[in-house]
Amino acid sequence: MYSLEMNHVSKVFPGVKALDDVTLKVRPRTVHALMGENGAGKSTLMKCLFGLYTMDEGEILFQGGKVSIPDSASALKLGISMIHQELHPIPHRTVMENIWLGRFPRVGGTWSPIVDHKEMYRRTESLLADLKLNLNPKDLLRDLSASKAQSVEIAKAVSYDAKIIIMDEPSSSLTENEVEHLFSIINDLKGRGVSIVYISHKMEEILKISDEVTIMRDGKSVGTWPASELTTDLIIKKMVGRDLSHRFPPKENTPGEELLRVAGFTSPHAKSFKDVSFTLKKGEILGIGGLVGAQRTEVMEAIFGLRVHSAGKLYIHGKEVFVNSAFEAKKHGMALLTEERRATGIFPVLSVMENLLIANMKSYQKKSRLLDNRRMVDDTKRSIKLLNVKTPNSKTLIKSLSGGNQQKVLFARWLLTLPEILILDEPTRGIDVGAKYEIYMIMMELAKQGKGVVMISSEMPELIGMTDRIVVMSEGRVAGIVDSQETSQEDIMRLATKFIQ
Amino acid sequence: MLFDLSKKKIQNFIMQKAIFLVLLMLVVVIAIINPKILRLVVLRDILMQSSTKVIMALGMMFVILTGGVDLGGGRLVGMAAVISASMLQTPDYLRRFFPDLPQLPLFVPIVMAVVVGILIGVLNGTIVAKFKVPAFIATLGSMLIIYGVNSIYFNMPPNNSQPIGGLRPDFTFLGSGSIGFVPVIVIFAALVSIAVWFVLNKTVFGKNVYAVGGNAEAATVSGVNITHTLMGLFAVCGGLIALSGVLEAARTGGATNNYGNGYELDAIASCVVGGVSTTGGVGSVPGVIAGVVIFSFINYGLTFVGVNPYWQSIIKGMIIVAAVSFDIRKYVQKK
Amino acid sequence: MKKSIVILCLALVLMTPLFAQGSKDEGLQIGCAIYKFDDTFMTSVRNAISAASTGKAKIDIVDSENSQAKQNEKVDMFITKGVNSLAINPVDRTAAGVIIDKAKKANIPVVFLNKEPLPEDLAKWDRVYYVGARAEESGTMSGQIIADYWKANPSADRNGDGILQYIMLKGEPGHQDAELRTEFSIKVLTDSGIKIEKLAEDTAMWDRPKAQDKMSSFIAAYGDRIEAVFANNDDMALGAIEALKAAGYFKGGKFLPVVGVDATAPALQALEEGTLLGTVLNDAKNQGQATFNLAYDLAQGKVPTDASIGYKITNGKYVWVPYQKVTKDNYKQFK
Repeated sequence: MYSLEMNHVSKVFPGVKALDDVTLKVRPRTVHALMGENGAGKSTLMKCLFGLYTMDEGEILFQGGKVSIPDSASALKLGISMIHQELHPIPHRTVMENIWLGRFPRVGGTWSPIVDHKEMYRRTESLLADLKLNLNPKDLLRDLSASKAQSVEIAKAVSYDAKIIIMDEPSSSLTENEVEHLFSIINDLKGRGVSIVYISHKMEEILKISDEVTIMRDGKSVGTWPASELTTDLIIKKMVGRDLSHRFPPKENTPGEELLRVAGFTSPHAKSFKDVSFTLKKGEILGIGGLVGAQRTEVMEAIFGLRVHSAGKLYIHGKEVFVNSAFEAKKHGMALLTEERRATGIFPVLSVMENLLIANMKSYQKKSRLLDNRRMVDDTKRSIKLLNVKTPNSKTLIKSLSGGNQQKVLFARWLLTLPEILILDEPTRGIDVGAKYEIYMIMMELAKQGKGVVMISSEMPELIGMTDRIVVMSEGRVAGIVDSQETSQEDIMRLATKFIQ
Repeated sequence: MLFDLSKKKIQNFIMQKAIFLVLLMLVVVIAIINPKILRLVVLRDILMQSSTKVIMALGMMFVILTGGVDLGGGRLVGMAAVISASMLQTPDYLRRFFPDLPQLPLFVPIVMAVVVGILIGVLNGTIVAKFKVPAFIATLGSMLIIYGVNSIYFNMPPNNSQPIGGLRPDFTFLGSGSIGFVPVIVIFAALVSIAVWFVLNKTVFGKNVYAVGGNAEAATVSGVNITHTLMGLFAVCGGLIALSGVLEAARTGGATNNYGNGYELDAIASCVVGGVSTTGGVGSVPGVIAGVVIFSFINYGLTFVGVNPYWQSIIKGMIIVAAVSFDIRKYVQKK
Repeated sequence: MKKSIVILCLALVLMTPLFAQGSKDEGLQIGCAIYKFDDTFMTSVRNAISAASTGKAKIDIVDSENSQAKQNEKVDMFITKGVNSLAINPVDRTAAGVIIDKAKKANIPVVFLNKEPLPEDLAKWDRVYYVGARAEESGTMSGQIIADYWKANPSADRNGDGILQYIMLKGEPGHQDAELRTEFSIKVLTDSGIKIEKLAEDTAMWDRPKAQDKMSSFIAAYGDRIEAVFANNDDMALGAIEALKAAGYFKGGKFLPVVGVDATAPALQALEEGTLLGTVLNDAKNQGQATFNLAYDLAQGKVPTDASIGYKITNGKYVWVPYQKVTKDNYKQFK
C-alpha cells in the first residue's frame, strides 16, 4: 500500500523529453528521496505532482484513488504541499502573511472577505512554536536571512497539514544546525503519518534522513532502493550511469615556464586583500583555497581589472602589464568565469549561441561590419560538441539548460577568446556529479594544451585532486603555497585559519 | 556604538520619510517667498484640488502594485465626466445633451459612469490575466478605444462636440460644495481612502493583490487565483478612476472629451513619488495621498509664487526623479 | 483556435458597413486633415465642413492626432487615393510648405484652414488658398470688451489706483492663437490709454480643470488685487469662473470681469447667468462653409471667385472670416 503513486508519467517540452515513463511510489510515513543529476527530471516530476505542469501521459494515485491535479490549489486541497527550490518569498509582506497566503483565516466564516489578523497571528505563533522555529510572525520577509526565509517556507509547507510534503532542496540555505532541526521536524512529521518526498544533492543528508531512494537519469527512473542498501558511490554510479571510482581525471599535464606573476597585490580597503604574490606556470592548474571571506574572489577580480588595487604588479611572460578593466584583461589573454553564474555570467533570455559568442562578437565582424553568420554557427556547433553541452539546439535559450550545461557554455564562451590564462571562480558549484567530471576533463585538457588555469574552490577534495599547487589564503593574505601531491586537507585547513584571531 | 545606532536611525528615518521631508522643504521655500501661502484657505484649496487626483491615484495604485500601469486612466476620467455630465444638466439649459431627458435621480448617472469604468477595468483585467498581455500594452489599447468611443458619444447630435455645461446644482455640490468649512469632495476622497486602506490591509483580496504583485509565482503555488485577483484589481481601478472623472465634472461644472488627458501620468507619478514600487508589491494609501498632495502643492505653490510654466515642468520632473531615487535607495541599501 | 478565427471573420463581416462608405467611388472626393479631433473649435469647423458637403461631394475627414508626421502620412494617403482637392488644417504652420510641394507634384489643389501657412509657402503655387480668422482679431476683441467695461464702470478699479491689475490664462505656450490673443488683448488696452499691471500669467493648456486650479492659486496669492481675468479660450474662462465662485464671487454683487474666446454653449450660458463678461466667436460655421466652398470649386477644376464661393478672397489667396464680439447684449443670436 502506497500513499502516493505516480505511474508511467511522461512529459515533453519542445525539443526535450523531460519525463519518459517515470514511476514513483511513496509509502506512508516514510522519507522518500528523489535523486538524479541536474536535468534528470526530478523537479519536473514534482511540478507535475503539484499541478504546475500538466503531464502528457501517466496517472497519479493518491491514498489509493486516482486523482487529477490541474493546478496548485487542487494539489493543496488534496493534501500535497511543497517546499519549492527556487521560489523567492513575497519580500515586503510579513512572515504570517507568507505562510497563510491563499487561505487566510477570515472574520466570521469562509465566505467573509475580511482577514482575521488576530487568528492568523495566533495560528502562526502556535505553528512556529510547534516547529520550534524562532521567528516573529510580524517580521517582513525581506528583513530575514536566507536561512530564516527557508524556515518560513518549511513552516508554510507543514502548516497545510498535508499527507505528502515535497521538499525540493529544502536545506540549500540552511546552516548545519538548522539542517539538524529540519530533520527533527521531518521525523516528527513521519510520526504523524506524513510522507516526505525529499530532493537534495547532498549525499550525506540523503543517506541520513531517507527510508527509500528513487534515482532518476535523463528523464527516466532508474529504480528504487531502500536507503540502507545504498552508499554514496553506489548512488553516484546509478545517477551518472557509469562508475565514478575516479572522481578526477588522471593528471596528465606538465607545468612549464612562468606565465603569470602577481607581486604584492594590495587592496585600498583595509579589510580586503594584502600583499598577495604568486606565480602561475604554463600548463599548470593552480588552486586558490581558503575559507569564505578570505578575499579570494576579490584578488582574482583585481587581477582581472574589475577591482582597484593600491599596490602590486602584474607580469605576463615576465613583462609587466597594466590591467585596469576586463577589456584590457581580455586583450592580455585572460579569461574569468565568475562565481555567480546566474547574476554575472549568463544572459538568461539569449540563446546558447548568443551566450557562447558574446565575449567574442568582434572577431566575427566581416569587412562590411556585418557579422559572419556562417562562422558563428560553425563555432557554436563545434563548441557544443567539444564541451558536450546538452541542449536541443543552438537557438535554445540558455535559461532552460541545467546549471552544468550553462557552466559549459560559459567555459566555451571564454575558450573562444583563445585565452592563455583562465581564472575559474568555483567552477563546479551547484553542478551535479556527472557534469563536474566533465568540467574537470575540460580543465585538464586546457592545462595539457599549455594554458594556465587558476581555480578558486571551497571543496578540499577538488582542490587536492585537480591542482598542481594550492595558494591558501587567510584573511586577505597568502598563508602559504603548497604542493597538491604532498598536502592534506588538515594542512590546508591549518593555513586557511592562520591569520584569524 | 550608541552613536552609530542613533545615526543609523536618523538615516533610516530620513529614508523612510523622504517624501514628507520633500514636502516640508517645499512649503518652507515657498513660504519664504510668499508667506501668504500659510493660510487655511490654501490648505483647503490644495485638498480640494487633490481630491479627485487621490481617488484616481488610489485606483492606479492597485495596478501598479502588480507591476503594471493603466494608461487608459486619463481617458476614462474624460469618459466618466462626459457620461455623468451629459445626463445631469439643468432642464432649462439651452444646449442639453439629451434635450428630452427627464430629471434623473442624482445617483443614476453617477452609478452608470462608475459601472462603465468597472466594466472597462474587467476588460483590461481579462486581457492582462487571460491573454497575458502586459498591462502597459493592454491599457495603451484601451486608452485609444475609450477616447474614440467617448468622442463618438460626445459628438452625437445635437451636442456636436460642444463642451457640456449647465450642470445641475445638486451635482456640482458634490464637487464644489462644502459642509461647514469642509468641502464635500474632500469628504469623498477621505471616504474612498479609508475604504481602499481597509480593502488593501484587511481583506483577502487586498492581501492577494500585494502577493500577486510581490511574487506572482509564490501566489500561484499558494493556490491564489491570479486571474480573479487581476480582474478584480483592474475593476477596482476602473471604478475609482471613473468616480474621480465624475467628481472632476462636478468640481469644474463641465466636461469635454478632452478631460483627463494626461492624468494617468500624473497619477503614476504621484504613486511613484508616494513610494509605490513600479516593480510591484510595495505601496501604501498614506504614501499615495502624500504623493498626490505633493504634486498638488507643487502645482499650486509654483503658480502661487509666479514661477514660469516651463520651469514648473522642470521642477516637477526633478522631484519625480529625486523622490524615486531616494525611494529605491531605501531597498538597495539592504543588500 | 478555430473558434477564434470564426469569431474574427464574423466580426469583420459585421464591420464591413463601417468601411463601406470609404470604398464608394463616385463623384468628387475631398481629403481633409484636422490637426486633432479633440479640439473643441476645430470639431465645430469639421462638423460645418461635413454639413456643407452633403449632397455635393464626398469628404474624408481624418485626425492628425496633433502630430505633423502623422498628418503628412495622411496627406500621402489622400494623394495616393487620388482625391480631387485637399483641405488641410496643419499641425505646424511651417509644415505647409512640404504639403504644398507634395500636392503641386500630384496637381491636387489645397485649402489650408485655421493655421496660417507662411506667406512664402503660399506663394509657391497658385492653387493654394487659406481660410481662417486673424488670430490677433480675437485678442483685440476680448481686450475691447474689458476696456469698455473698465471705462463704463469706475468701480471696476477696486483699489482705486487707476491701474488695471489682471491675470492672463494662456493656452498652450507657443501656440499661435495663444500668443497672439495674449499679445493683442493687452495691446488694445494700452492703445486706448488704460494703465495696466500684469499680476500673473500662466498656461492652463486650454483646459478647464487646469484653469480652475491655477485660478484658485492666483486668488489665494493676489486676492482683491485682481481686477480682470483674460483667458485665451472659454474653457479656461469657465474654469476661472468656477474658482472665483468658490472664493465667493458672483454672489451679492461681488463681480470680476472675465473674458474668453470661442462662444461655446457653456460660455453663452455663463453670459446669461452674468458670470462671464464676454467672449469672442471664432466663426466655425463660416470657416467650415468657406473651406468647403473653396475646396469644392478647386476639386471641379474651377478658379474660385468671390461670387462662386460666397466669401471675399483677399490677395487671391486668403479668405478672412471675421470674429464677432459676444456679450450679454447679443449672445441670444448665437445660440
